[in-house]
Amino acid sequence: MKNDIEQKKPQRIPIDEKSMHINEAGTDGVLMGSICKKCGEHYFGKQTYCFKCASQDFKDIELPKQGILRTYTVIFTPPAGWQGNVPYILGSVELTETPEILSEVIDCPKENIKIGMRMQLVFKVGGTDKEGNEIVVYKWKPV
Amino acid sequence: MSVNLRSVYVAGIGLHPFGRFPEKSVHDLARTSVLEAMKDAGIVYRDLQAAYFGHVYYYGMSVGETVLNGLGLTGLPVFNINNACSSSSSAFELAYWAVASGAWDVVLAFGAERVPRGPISVTAEDSPSRFMGTDHMMASYALRARRYMEQFGCPPEAFAHVAEKAHRNAVLNPYAQYKKVFTIEEILNSRMIADPLTLYQCCPTSEGASACILVSRDAARKFNMPSKRLIKVSGVGIVTSDLDDRKGDHLIAWRAAKKAYDMAGLGPQDVDVVQVHDAATNAGIFQLEGLGLVERGKGWQLELSGGTEINGSVPTNTDGGLQAMGHPLGATGTRMLHELVLQLRGEAGPRQVKDAKVGIAENSGAGEVCTVIILNK
Repeated sequence: MKNDIEQKKPQRIPIDEKSMHINEAGTDGVLMGSICKKCGEHYFGKQTYCFKCASQDFKDIELPKQGILRTYTVIFTPPAGWQGNVPYILGSVELTETPEILSEVIDCPKENIKIGMRMQLVFKVGGTDKEGNEIVVYKWKPV
Repeated sequence: MSVNLRSVYVAGIGLHPFGRFPEKSVHDLARTSVLEAMKDAGIVYRDLQAAYFGHVYYYGMSVGETVLNGLGLTGLPVFNINNACSSSSSAFELAYWAVASGAWDVVLAFGAERVPRGPISVTAEDSPSRFMGTDHMMASYALRARRYMEQFGCPPEAFAHVAEKAHRNAVLNPYAQYKKVFTIEEILNSRMIADPLTLYQCCPTSEGASACILVSRDAARKFNMPSKRLIKVSGVGIVTSDLDDRKGDHLIAWRAAKKAYDMAGLGPQDVDVVQVHDAATNAGIFQLEGLGLVERGKGWQLELSGGTEINGSVPTNTDGGLQAMGHPLGATGTRMLHELVLQLRGEAGPRQVKDAKVGIAENSGAGEVCTVIILNK
């Protein structure tokens, strides 16, 4: 009986294990990328098949934690499934050679957001799933 | 291409008005457009040899078959195409190849949809992007809009002008969902959806249907179709995302357009009338750049200077486009071709573009998919 209860205890889990690693407390982590060992193409998250050269041989890398905001929008009508604040800012951030990474921008008044700002990666609980687990997501905040 | 392709013509077009029709099923909408197209072509149901049906939402299995079973039981092959918002233009391209290859002589391409109200999401309900707040159709347009404004100095008024023009054109179109004029100020001051896109810059969700009948020259002769009502399909292109698309938002349309232009032996300078997928107003501008009709970064100036008006140098979305005609996803592709056919026949009434001989339609879908179709007189 005790075991059953322990098994059902809600946990902090990452939104996508293939693109991020988090610490046990779910308060920090890294975004993961892949580099094709054959042609050197960069990807966000775990890639299994290279778009460029068809290789299946990849090196996992940790992505940098800072980048540049390339575009943004402020969403006033959120999509179904959104558990955060409204309005919220979505920002597309260029890290290095990976494609830009899109996520919420926090700790930034919407009047201050500007393309070209330097952004820092942060990890936050974004909400809970049906089992009560706290889902950890990555977000951006101005440096 | 090593085989000899046959010439293919659009011989008939049909449309069910776009809007909200709570008393009708998607089958009712689709049948209306098919009946109208067959009447327009001067054929009856048993003359159809194959059908390609575009739709996105679920209405039971084999919807194309259940729609057409209400018109006849002739055993014709029916193909159901779900290619997001490009479903019926994809259906049209398949119908084109079926006739061009010699497989069939009389083929129906049609699309119908009843889109639920509210924002449209692309992914499944339990996808991570729903949770991250990133699956938002209008946000993806808004992100492109902000980047374009930053890069090319485009003011928000240029985007609003796309909607303002669309509604002025729609007033002249009895089939349009919103036959009402708005001022630029009203458009910019309407409720914000995803900055810089306000409510009146996001296409409505809609119900409707559209249909085209494609024929070979042999079939046109057999059915005594008057040649002045036959509109030639001179080029088709369909592409999905490419690694190179990371270098610019307009490149996917250009890759599809290049295929269609090359096939038609035509270029952007030959185009007289245009349909672009203006699901959000900014796409109404940068898809013109994608089609090569205006230099990259200068589409907004063309828009603001009146160049995209019915009497402008690049008449665009003469029927109201997605913005005002409405956007029943699976019905939009063949709706665009319906308008081009009217324009090229000279039957567009108050919306008529003078001496229109070549028309181009660009239809975008999530995925991404992009189709470009060129018709000429």
